[in-house]
Amino acid sequence: MARTQQDTNRERERITDDNGVAIDSALVGDGLELSYPTSEETVVDCARLDIPEEAVTALVGPNGSGKSTLLKALSNHLTPDTGSVQIHGEDLDTFDQKELARELGVLSQENDSLSSISVEDLVYHGRYPHRGFFDGVSEADHQAVERAIELAGIEDLRDTELGQLSGGQKQLAWIAMVLAQDTDVLLLDEPTTFLDVHHQFRVLETIRQLNEEKGVTVAVILHDISQAARFADYLVAMRDGELYDWGPPEEVVTEQLLADVFGVEATVTYEPELQVLPKRALSESRP
Amino acid sequence: MGEAQSVNGHGSAREREGWVTGTLVLFCLGSTVVTVVAGLIQVSFGEYSMTFVEAWKAVFNPAVVFNLNAWSAFLFGAELPEMSTGSIVIWNLRLPRVFVGIITGATLAISGAIFQAVTRNELASPFVLGVSSGAGFAVLATLVVFSGLAPFLPLIAAAGGTIAFVIVYTIAWKGGTNPVRLVLAGVIVNMVFQSLQQGLFFFADDLGVVQTAIAWITGSLTGTGWGEVRIAVLPAAVAIVIALAGARQLNVLMLGESTARSLGMRVERVRFFLSAVAILAASVAIAVAGVVSFFGLVVPHIVRNTVGGDYRRLMVGCLFAGPALMVTADVGARLALGGTQMPVGVVTGLIGGPYFLYLMRKQQSMGEL
Repeated sequence: MARTQQDTNRERERITDDNGVAIDSALVGDGLELSYPTSEETVVDCARLDIPEEAVTALVGPNGSGKSTLLKALSNHLTPDTGSVQIHGEDLDTFDQKELARELGVLSQENDSLSSISVEDLVYHGRYPHRGFFDGVSEADHQAVERAIELAGIEDLRDTELGQLSGGQKQLAWIAMVLAQDTDVLLLDEPTTFLDVHHQFRVLETIRQLNEEKGVTVAVILHDISQAARFADYLVAMRDGELYDWGPPEEVVTEQLLADVFGVEATVTYEPELQVLPKRALSESRP
Repeated sequence: MGEAQSVNGHGSAREREGWVTGTLVLFCLGSTVVTVVAGLIQVSFGEYSMTFVEAWKAVFNPAVVFNLNAWSAFLFGAELPEMSTGSIVIWNLRLPRVFVGIITGATLAISGAIFQAVTRNELASPFVLGVSSGAGFAVLATLVVFSGLAPFLPLIAAAGGTIAFVIVYTIAWKGGTNPVRLVLAGVIVNMVFQSLQQGLFFFADDLGVVQTAIAWITGSLTGTGWGEVRIAVLPAAVAIVIALAGARQLNVLMLGESTARSLGMRVERVRFFLSAVAILAASVAIAVAGVVSFFGLVVPHIVRNTVGGDYRRLMVGCLFAGPALMVTADVGARLALGGTQMPVGVVTGLIGGPYFLYLMRKQQSMGEL
């Protein structure tokens, strides 16, 4: 808790890691209060959120802790009641919708629609923000689509219709679509939930590869804290619409956090590598 | 290297005509044949009896087809040049009705297809979303109460359709819209306007007016001529061109609202703009032919089942299938009962309704696209 307080007290434009080296943030949420138009209640109240440049940040927290809401605000799908979001130092409001879509790719949670579209056609839709109303497919579009399909490893599925794919294959197809958007920043809302383990790893490896090879900044909501702890460079832990803690997994993930945020008793081992072993649920009535 | 080349080849093929499939080409050719045959049947029969050969010769009579004066008479209402009785019957009485059928068929089909994508609902059509009943009410009110305004019927129909749709959109709007709310609001507005229509009949004192009004509400091509073609052809062309150009936007809309927004689409604006195009298209048809029921709903379904859900194909398919079905239905409406002509809306309702039921039984899931 103390850490987040410190963060907000620090100089606004710069955050530093523990060695005092400055970290640039690709996305910054500043003084965000978020609610949905249908209700008065504030769902998320977050003084400062940083998504560090060229790193993978995982947002974790229990159901209803406001992760998705926060992601919606970061991607301009939800206008904050107060506060602002900056991408590379510029306010989201200053972008028009297509400009923003060239900077920021978003994959939402529910992509149930459409079954009669081929994977390749879907991936081509990722080029939408790069094409004008009357523009045809350019060579750049074509190359971006090929890269995306290759990166997601779905070459063999390109002519298959979406309706015939398994959940995991579908998710990879949607990810390929977002990759074709060719953005520097990528926000993914629970891309691994409901997938079998094989496809969970395919998705995470694709994200990791993208980050390492292209330096893409990724913010990803992950359901599984132990997966997030192993996978991400930074963790953002949310509880009840507030930022509980922020930092590298080795520092953020503690038995205390698992009790406070997730309501589970767990053992956390740090050597040889960070591992979380949840044991049992703590009773709900705990303060 | 070889692989890279084949990949490039694939890309350029796609750029040119990747979405044009053999099925689509066949479907369009088939529709064209049906339209032509139905049109020829339509012009061959009637009170001024002609043989097929005579009628077809008149249709392709070079003295008319290549006569600029004749065309300026048809399209701009100039003085009709001298021609044989047969040619006059064909070219001035029967053919324009076929053309009106082609225009209304194409515009209604395209309008329905757009509405189905905009609301992401298979059951949407100008009829369901209140556009038809709003336009119908406006037309009826004009005929019964403000008969002096009759020359402006198409404009009034469009205005009525727009008002109804705006009401539907406003009711459905709550920080954005969703398909279910749109259709629910449409159903409600529809009922209100239909009640208003029925109420208006009590104010009609002339039986002739009532009959015209009924023909209008059921949708009829009886008595349509070059005047109607002149009214409809321009707005129809505009609507069709925009609809075809907007097919890719519709495809992206079909990915779902949040995905479309993430891809950089201003969803509400595109939705509203394309809805306006769909209203324009529907109003064109309603202004010259009245409310032809089921047409805008069923035709996109038939096309979708044949050529697939990609809107680039779907739009082109609708452009050909709509005229084919409308002209055929109108042949039935005009000639099936011998002496009496039915409104074409009766035919489309009688055929379209059961076909739609059949679709519902056959498909497991219906509604969400």
